[in-house]
Amino acid sequence: MARAVTTNRKIITSAAAWTIALIIFFPIFWTILTSFKTEAQAINDPPLFFNFDWTLENYAIVQERSDYMKFLWNSVIVAGGSTLLGILIAIPAAWSMAFVPSKRTKDILLWMLSTKMLPAVGVLYPISLIFVEFNLLDTRGGLIVVLMLINLPIIVWMLYTYFREIPGEILEAARMDGATLKEEILYVLTPMAVPGIASTVLLNFILAWNEAFWTLNLTAANAAPLTAFIASYSSPEGLFFAKLSAASTMAIAPILILGWFSQKQLVRGLTFGAVK
Amino acid sequence: MKDRLQEWVPRLVLAPSFLLVLLFVYGFILYTGYLSMTDSRMLPSYGFVGLENYQKLFALRHWNTALTNLAIFGILYILISSLLGLFLAILLDQKIRAEGLIRPIYLYPMALSFIVTGTAWKWFLDPGIGLENVMQQWGWENFEFNWIKDRDFAIYTVVLAAVWQSSGFVMAMFLAGLRGVDNEIIKAAQIDGASGFRIYRKIIIPMMRPVFLSAFVVLAHLAIKAYDLVIALTGGGPGRATELPATFMYSYTFTRNQMGIGASSAIIMLIMIFSIIVPYLYSELKSGEQK
Repeated sequence: MARAVTTNRKIITSAAAWTIALIIFFPIFWTILTSFKTEAQAINDPPLFFNFDWTLENYAIVQERSDYMKFLWNSVIVAGGSTLLGILIAIPAAWSMAFVPSKRTKDILLWMLSTKMLPAVGVLYPISLIFVEFNLLDTRGGLIVVLMLINLPIIVWMLYTYFREIPGEILEAARMDGATLKEEILYVLTPMAVPGIASTVLLNFILAWNEAFWTLNLTAANAAPLTAFIASYSSPEGLFFAKLSAASTMAIAPILILGWFSQKQLVRGLTFGAVK
Repeated sequence: MKDRLQEWVPRLVLAPSFLLVLLFVYGFILYTGYLSMTDSRMLPSYGFVGLENYQKLFALRHWNTALTNLAIFGILYILISSLLGLFLAILLDQKIRAEGLIRPIYLYPMALSFIVTGTAWKWFLDPGIGLENVMQQWGWENFEFNWIKDRDFAIYTVVLAAVWQSSGFVMAMFLAGLRGVDNEIIKAAQIDGASGFRIYRKIIIPMMRPVFLSAFVVLAHLAIKAYDLVIALTGGGPGRATELPATFMYSYTFTRNQMGIGASSAIIMLIMIFSIIVPYLYSELKSGEQK
């Protein structure tokens, strides 16, 4: 709202907004802070803020004890792989809906998008039965396919909204110049669509990275990504808070960075387009 | 020949995505629905038993606990997140300093997996080392906050954590709505002498009805699907006091090998979600046609 606000009010509201921001950020801050403490310091009375000897030993111990890098690598492969596969399948579909729309395009789009709202438990049995049948349990390949399928509607729809912003005349001009469909998509559309594709990749990577239901239920020791790792590490009695914090910090670090750049896409994707 | 190809290619390239979603979502849901009417236990079995599993399901104490929890959790979660989100949006709408820095911070909880941030919450909520302990250290010796260990109150800690996770995200939805309101209308109201609060209450908020509806649908479906929150925070405990339908479905069927009953609980959850999103989609489609 564009209107004059007095300086006093501005200071008060700014202070309030920042206070709330600090409260919201506190659990994340505390996790990061705790990761640099010893276990004794982590549960010290009273809690220690900055007046402790910072240590990196938790990180070393977490890596040594549970082969942290393996889980990290699984997360990267699974999130990256499912995103890549999803994008490859979705680009033609989004292209078709954006540039050669039919009467049913909007229905199909809404219908696809709505499936993302359905609970994962609805397809848990068929998926796990297929996984057992084809020996896919605890494999990265299986998980990649499942996560790709889960996020495919969002990918198609996001790409569609970005493709729609590309003027169709340019594609027509390319066609006039005798470009084949393949050339049209590869050399004309794709370069213009790169920002949109990048945004979609970013959002989907975050969604796949955070996915917990399927990673917890379909993986064990071999293919488990970080979410499953943290869940298994989580001891109820709080004896490992510093190590768990170190593991958590490493698990959220990439998202803390990616999240900063992709807030718009996050809101857009998670609200199913209600917020553009 | 080439023309016909041109005509078919768009449909052809749409097909994989369309069919994958159709098979993966609706095909598999149909199969789950079928299983829910069979006597499957550890493995699928195809003896048809009609609605027997549903009768058994609703006679189960644990399922009813899960439903009650969902009702408590869902109502409080949607209500508090919406109010808080609206409040934060109005706050940020006041030309805050460094708004660009604050927004991502508000959104962070939603961007991070709760499986991970749940650790910090467990720490805060633990009476021995968390908030209760700190307050007692600071002199409030009678301060008690052991909800997470209390059967009757543990579900409220799930609400607390869920509200923390989503408020900033709801804020973003509302803020977009606020910014979408026509400035001319606001200016006119100001000239008429309306105060800031009245402008929000009488003009802006009523205009944001579609945003409220979207927020409701998004939050409601998140509530029904809630899984990792509970797993990370309480694991469904103490006892089974914080079980929600999604965790019930998983724990009951995989630890007790009751596939038929588990499938019926999944179908009930699906029906709940459908009853929320179908009217919403229908209204979306209708408003789309009017444009």
